[in-house]
Amino acid sequence: MGQMERDAFIIGPDDPILVTGATGFIGSRLVESLLDRGFRNVRCFARLSSKVARVEAAGRRYAGARVEMITGNLLSREDCAAATKDVAVIFHLAAGRGEKSFPDAFMNSVVTTRNLLEASLRHTCLRRFVSISSFAVYTNTQKPRWRLLDESCPVEKRPELRGDAYCFAKVKQDEIVTEYGKRFGIPYVIVRPGYVYGPGNEGLTGRVGIGTFGVFLHLGGSNPIPVTYVDNCAEAIVLAGLKKGVDGEVFNAVDDDLPSSRRFLRLYKRNVRRFRSIYLPHVVSYAFCLLWEKYSIWSEGQLPPVFNRLSWHAYWKKTRYSNEKLKARLGWAPKVPMAEGFRRYFQSCRERERDA
Amino acid sequence: MLKVAIVGCGKIADAHASQIQRIKGCEIVGVCDREPLMARQLHERFPVKRYFSDLTELLSDARPDVVHITTPPESHFDIARFCLEWGCHVYVEKPFTLHAEEAQILVALANEKGLKLTVGHDDQFSNVTRRMRTLVHSGYLGGVPVHMESYYCYDLGEPGYARALLGDKQHWVRRLPGGLLHNIISHGIARIAEFLTTDSPQVIAYGFVSPLLKRMDEREIVDELRVIICEEERTTAYFTFSSQMRPSIHQFRIYGQKNGLILDQDQETLIKLRGGRFKSYLEKFIPPVSFAEQYLGNLMKNARTFLARDFHMDSGKKYLIESFYRSITHGTPVPIQYREILLTARIMDTIFAQLNTQRSQVQAQGQMPSHAALTH
Repeated sequence: MGQMERDAFIIGPDDPILVTGATGFIGSRLVESLLDRGFRNVRCFARLSSKVARVEAAGRRYAGARVEMITGNLLSREDCAAATKDVAVIFHLAAGRGEKSFPDAFMNSVVTTRNLLEASLRHTCLRRFVSISSFAVYTNTQKPRWRLLDESCPVEKRPELRGDAYCFAKVKQDEIVTEYGKRFGIPYVIVRPGYVYGPGNEGLTGRVGIGTFGVFLHLGGSNPIPVTYVDNCAEAIVLAGLKKGVDGEVFNAVDDDLPSSRRFLRLYKRNVRRFRSIYLPHVVSYAFCLLWEKYSIWSEGQLPPVFNRLSWHAYWKKTRYSNEKLKARLGWAPKVPMAEGFRRYFQSCRERERDA
Repeated sequence: MLKVAIVGCGKIADAHASQIQRIKGCEIVGVCDREPLMARQLHERFPVKRYFSDLTELLSDARPDVVHITTPPESHFDIARFCLEWGCHVYVEKPFTLHAEEAQILVALANEKGLKLTVGHDDQFSNVTRRMRTLVHSGYLGGVPVHMESYYCYDLGEPGYARALLGDKQHWVRRLPGGLLHNIISHGIARIAEFLTTDSPQVIAYGFVSPLLKRMDEREIVDELRVIICEEERTTAYFTFSSQMRPSIHQFRIYGQKNGLILDQDQETLIKLRGGRFKSYLEKFIPPVSFAEQYLGNLMKNARTFLARDFHMDSGKKYLIESFYRSITHGTPVPIQYREILLTARIMDTIFAQLNTQRSQVQAQGQMPSHAALTH
């Protein structure tokens, strides 16, 4: 780490850093990125069942680095107290991802975040809390098509109506971080990545389409897909945690040169596997979401409200995205260009297909 | 208006709140969880008047008539007893209690106080199960059941999920006397208990850790269970729990002296098994046609129920809750007889006692006994 870079950061190379979800998809890259920048005191928190090999191996690669593994459960206040002791920056990546149940998603995102915030209050040495949110929190309802979605855009006011437990949990997580920031003066930054792709997350984002009904319905069309390669995303989060003068800010993380949904799907089919897809024009997908929403209400939830107008606006409405703030305030630039990111991602997808 | 409260605001509480709000003549006056954030999130998402983090405050301030207990099983007994003592009717999620003695105490207390109790065996009230019950009560089997088979499987899913559950040595499921089984099998055991007539049938259980879990270095969680239940050399039953067999079914088969029935909970189908046989080759051709006709009939029934907006995944829960509320407001019988609740608890106690004995033997011998089944 150069002197200039050191001056731009809120902590020095020996200050303790906590990374929750450190063995996860983004977390493991984030730990490597911190070590790469010369930070030598990284505490990694992971669930008991996590695979810790990659992070431990990363620690061994950097001479003089101290990578401490702590396993536990963020629902335990004692575990949170132990994890946050003496730390200067917390990168809070652990989250209830993928749960379909609202209480589970909420508990593993909001209650855990509150526990960490409370624990760090007791230690009084925290200089920044970095909370990882998501693009899923933004609402697009009142905006025209092709409008720019950036950090100034509103989040869902009634996230429970989206029918998406992850969105609900992330909106509430943002709220509690902001609340603790205001009430107790905890310095925080919120990072909202778009769809994070790369080896380790081989799925096709729902923004492109859905395969729920046996055939892949392509819903994105010409929409740009807000993707960010995992290493680029980790880099953005690292900078958000370290740069001076950004407390209380929100940063969206997306890469440059975003592909359209159609291009992304075409590349996926060409490079990973061929499958049949049917394109649904936006007017059709909107009508589908509207009808599903109405039927769900009329039938008292016989079909769950997973498709509705709020989700259509958030995921399938034509929207542009910006990473200007990330570049201007944090000096971030994507390390891995889109073409290289896709190459690695598709290779990983192919390997996964082969092993399946 | 019946005033309802929910204690415990986790995953299953959502299912309760969703169904309660569909029932006329009741309102959720309060929800409670030791974790105030959990109580608040349920309050925000459903039409709930207030939320609490203290049970006494809920009972004194919201004054519910009925309390639904949806907390982890180890707290069911204490909370249910507390609510009964406060004069509330109680719906307890499954498993009812950790031990049969506790179930007995709750039933006695409810009777003493003139209050009603039920347990969350909602599969017993799905559309297809109600159809089966009607047929059995109409005498279709030709008398008491001769034999029953209850399959209740559980797909541990992708190894990632299993790792999360199995990696946490402090997971509350591990603290239950019957571990993973304790949290799941009561649905399948209750199906058998409903049709038993004695209070203490003979139970022979055999359980083991599946090869999948062993490969994941798990030695404690039993995820394969086979049980034989017999009463007075008259009615017998097999119960199967498996995390490994495919398809991962939830089926109940019941055979009488005249006919039999096969209920498939997942597909919501009920198939009649005719006791008589056709002559010669006709037995090879006519029954398949009859089965095809019956499956088509099931399809039509399911489609009609769906179109009538009564085919929710939790329709059994709504029916059970509605019946329970009616038993409170109109004095009708409780939907699940206390005898059935107690018998289910006793059978489960016996199964877990035998599994513990097996485990002790294995630990003592350092290897699996050649025949581990024991009669309790």
